[in-house]
Amino acid sequence: MSASPVARQASRSQSIPQRKVVINDPSQLPMDYSTTPDGTLYSTTPGGTRIVYERSFLLHLRNSPLARTPPKNLPNIPEILLSSSLAKENGSDTPNPVKEKEQKDDSQEQFQLDM
Amino acid sequence: MLVRQFVGMASGKISESQEVVPKKEEEEVESISPELLIKHPLQNTWTLWFYENDRSKSWEENQREITSFDTVEDFWGLYNNIKAASDLRVGCDYSLFKKGIRPMWEDDANKRGGRWLVNLEKKRNELTNFWLEVLLCMIGEAFDECSDDICGAVLNVRAKVDKIGLWTADYSNGSSVMEIGRKFKERLRISPKIMIGYQIHKDTQNKSGSVTKNTYAC
Repeated sequence: MSASPVARQASRSQSIPQRKVVINDPSQLPMDYSTTPDGTLYSTTPGGTRIVYERSFLLHLRNSPLARTPPKNLPNIPEILLSSSLAKENGSDTPNPVKEKEQKDDSQEQFQLDM
Repeated sequence: MLVRQFVGMASGKISESQEVVPKKEEEEVESISPELLIKHPLQNTWTLWFYENDRSKSWEENQREITSFDTVEDFWGLYNNIKAASDLRVGCDYSLFKKGIRPMWEDDANKRGGRWLVNLEKKRNELTNFWLEVLLCMIGEAFDECSDDICGAVLNVRAKVDKIGLWTADYSNGSSVMEIGRKFKERLRISPKIMIGYQIHKDTQNKSGSVTKNTYAC
């Protein structure tokens, strides 16, 4: 996952909370609780729980620090799709999207330099 | 509605001692709020596709896979940095599908499917909000247990009428299709007076005129 350095630092200062699940009988254990690294129990409570987010919660996260990182696979996103701010950052002075293949390499280089 | 905010569990390791203690967990979770420091996992991994009409290429070649995401934050990282729906050129499409499903009728996951279709005439400035609402419904799993029947959604930006289609896996599953349709309509705040229709992909494929019959409506 691509947390920004700032966010990573910040998260180090806090211990990760544990979730405690009451289980009275081995049969209540989910079948597939090792589906994430180290086996967390989320989304696999007996019967299977769906990860549901309400609209307001999703919107609340819209501008959180982690949501501001540029998308994965950025160099391969056609320039025509990038919002203007990012397109500029990505070093695209040529407004001609037809020559995409050539630009792809350029933008990749540019992107890495920015890092 | 079940809402789980995975405070602390999204990307962190859980120590080996998954303690089994009878204790209320809500209290504990609420006292710590690293909410903004971790990424929130989604139920599904989603793939964004972009279609650009280039006549020198086939339809399939014009359909490009852009990127995939599986957390709320990665969704926003993408969404916030790409063009809004209403800024797309006429003739372009956005599609968001569960990873592994291609945004086309021919895909195995869509073969038996259909779509709820919303026509948006002269609503270009509202298009962005409509599309975002559909995205939030899908990634947030707003259709409850029917969410498994969701394949994805397609936005067509067209000269006269823009369209948003919500694709489901199985047209023969009537109760699920209707449930999804009602929720879709409600979330898009479409007036109860306006009917929306569900069309089977096969009918759309084989239509002779310009209109495909609606198999369901709500």
